[in-house]
Amino acid sequence: MRRFIVTLGIGLALSAVSGAQAYHRFWAGCNYDAPTFMTTMTRDAAQDYANAARYEGYQWGGGCWNYDDLDSYPDDPPAVAGTHGEGGDCSGLTFKTWRESTDTWRDGRYYWRALRNVHGPYDAASFRNGEGAPNHIVAKATAGVMDAFASGTHIGMIFARSLYGGDQIVEAKCEACGTNIFYRTYRGDSSYGGVGRWGWTG
Amino acid sequence: MRRPSIRSLAGGAAGIAAGVIGGIVLTSVSAAGPAPVSRTPALIDATHVPPVLRLPGEPVRLRYGLVCAPRDDGRPCDGEGTVYLRAGRSGPFRPYPFQRGDESRDGRYFLDVPAAVADSNDGFSYYAVLRDDSRGASVTVPSGGADAPQSSLPLGAAIRIALGRHAFGAVRDPDARVAAASWGSAPQDVGLAGSRELGFSGPSSFDVEPDGTIDLLDSVNGRVMRWGQGRRELVPFGDAAELADFTVESDGTFDVLDARGVLRSFHRDGTPGWTQKLSDRTWAKLDHGSSGPVVLQQPSEQWMPVADDGIPLTRKQQAAAAHAEKKLANGDDLLVARIGEGELRIGEVHRGAPVRAWRITSETPLGEVQLAESSGSRIVVVTRVYSDDHDEFVAVVLDRAGLAARFSVASDSWTETAPLARFRLARGALYRLRTTQSGAFVDRFDLEVPQ
Repeated sequence: MRRFIVTLGIGLALSAVSGAQAYHRFWAGCNYDAPTFMTTMTRDAAQDYANAARYEGYQWGGGCWNYDDLDSYPDDPPAVAGTHGEGGDCSGLTFKTWRESTDTWRDGRYYWRALRNVHGPYDAASFRNGEGAPNHIVAKATAGVMDAFASGTHIGMIFARSLYGGDQIVEAKCEACGTNIFYRTYRGDSSYGGVGRWGWTG
Repeated sequence: MRRPSIRSLAGGAAGIAAGVIGGIVLTSVSAAGPAPVSRTPALIDATHVPPVLRLPGEPVRLRYGLVCAPRDDGRPCDGEGTVYLRAGRSGPFRPYPFQRGDESRDGRYFLDVPAAVADSNDGFSYYAVLRDDSRGASVTVPSGGADAPQSSLPLGAAIRIALGRHAFGAVRDPDARVAAASWGSAPQDVGLAGSRELGFSGPSSFDVEPDGTIDLLDSVNGRVMRWGQGRRELVPFGDAAELADFTVESDGTFDVLDARGVLRSFHRDGTPGWTQKLSDRTWAKLDHGSSGPVVLQQPSEQWMPVADDGIPLTRKQQAAAAHAEKKLANGDDLLVARIGEGELRIGEVHRGAPVRAWRITSETPLGEVQLAESSGSRIVVVTRVYSDDHDEFVAVVLDRAGLAARFSVASDSWTETAPLARFRLARGALYRLRTTQSGAFVDRFDLEVPQ
């Protein structure tokens, strides 16, 4: 009996090796479902979508997250794609929030659910240049809610304008800081340009 | 060594098998239990830009955005709400239901403030409660509700200042470089993190003590660098604090506000004091209050005290003590409102009543207000002017006659800082944090305006 109990403990310890994979348990929920084509796309629904991704983490080149308010794998090495970490990166979050197509010539509205792992074809620089049929450059002074500011290395969407002239920006900022709403001064920063999405319906 | 029997081998194998199976079952149960995957979050949030300073006769439409959990059909949430409004700053609030508009760019929910309230000489005060009808969740803005409502004051006889079209490139050189360090992790260096691909971060904030000591938050290396009395001192305080804001109190304790909205207070030697989470989800600036650190927080858009004489305040206490005005060194309060593309309204207030006001307009778009403080009887404001390709800071010194002084300051920086932490006003001078490819610097611009 004593030997059984000892080896039972060994067995439980061995099973914990699979527990170490729990970091990536969420990854099993990620999928490659087709997006849902939609006829409407309002700025406040886009706020809802991006806001729900807060606290879900950041993954370079990523685009899958659940809604548990935790980054399931917070310590991925920066700038390495394919580590199956949770969260989008800055351009992936923008792509999904703006309901864009993986085909750059399509300008329709495609609703990607949170667990659909997709990053989209754009990086921050291509958003900044207004590349792709759904995207365009806007004057920074007139950029409004759920338009974006993009530099050569980063993009964040305007969650709300703010009293002192800065903006509350919803963004997947970095592996250490995750995805959240931060007060930023991108609007006046000449390294950032204004970017918009065609086709808002309200 | 005794040879194991068949029975003992079988027992051991059975134990290992039972353990592995048990572990797998337990893992599966935990994974399949209340799995977070695909759970719809119970979220609610709101956005609102308060009209803290209004022109006489200007109609007032209070606009709010309501943010809920995303719906499966991709549509916005089905909400409603109420604004509780009163003339002046005392007395009972009266409820007014929101109207729901077709557009959400400036906030889908709105209320046109009745003229009788909007035209009150004492202004008006208000708070709002918004609800998500489908889930029954609600949010109050500002978060202090009736205890700390938002306020709106008439601008009165404001002095008009027209900045005209900004001429980029005519920046003023600093009068002195008061602190400098190269990039690195050695004791004499300041930390740099990031890459060309990801962008760089470095020292994210700084402060100037009454005796002229410069304190630089070396965010990457988790320490404070002090330049004072002819020597440099290092004060380690712990982990990296990238993009954090920072103030130094009069007794030498210092406060570090991190990107996640947690304020940590440290003793002068870097040993930890207290830690407190902010009331609201987002912060813009950490500053000195009359009895401790104050933070400009969103969505309330109010300054909230985070400690009172060294005692941290709970989140509820912060919200209940919030106010739109910022306390000035001269004892008055200051209201700041950036309006549209190129207008900035500044109002000095004494016990809730307007004292002086300035209405600054610019043909070149204005960005964020980095600093608005009193210097003697004057008000010093630093704001950004920008086009789509250029930007600089403009410092203006305001007095009873209007514009007492004005100059431009270069805005380029190699690294990102806390959002409103580029300037400090102390000892009659303006100090600027700047970084270049070679290191970090604090420069001083003397405000040569007779007091």
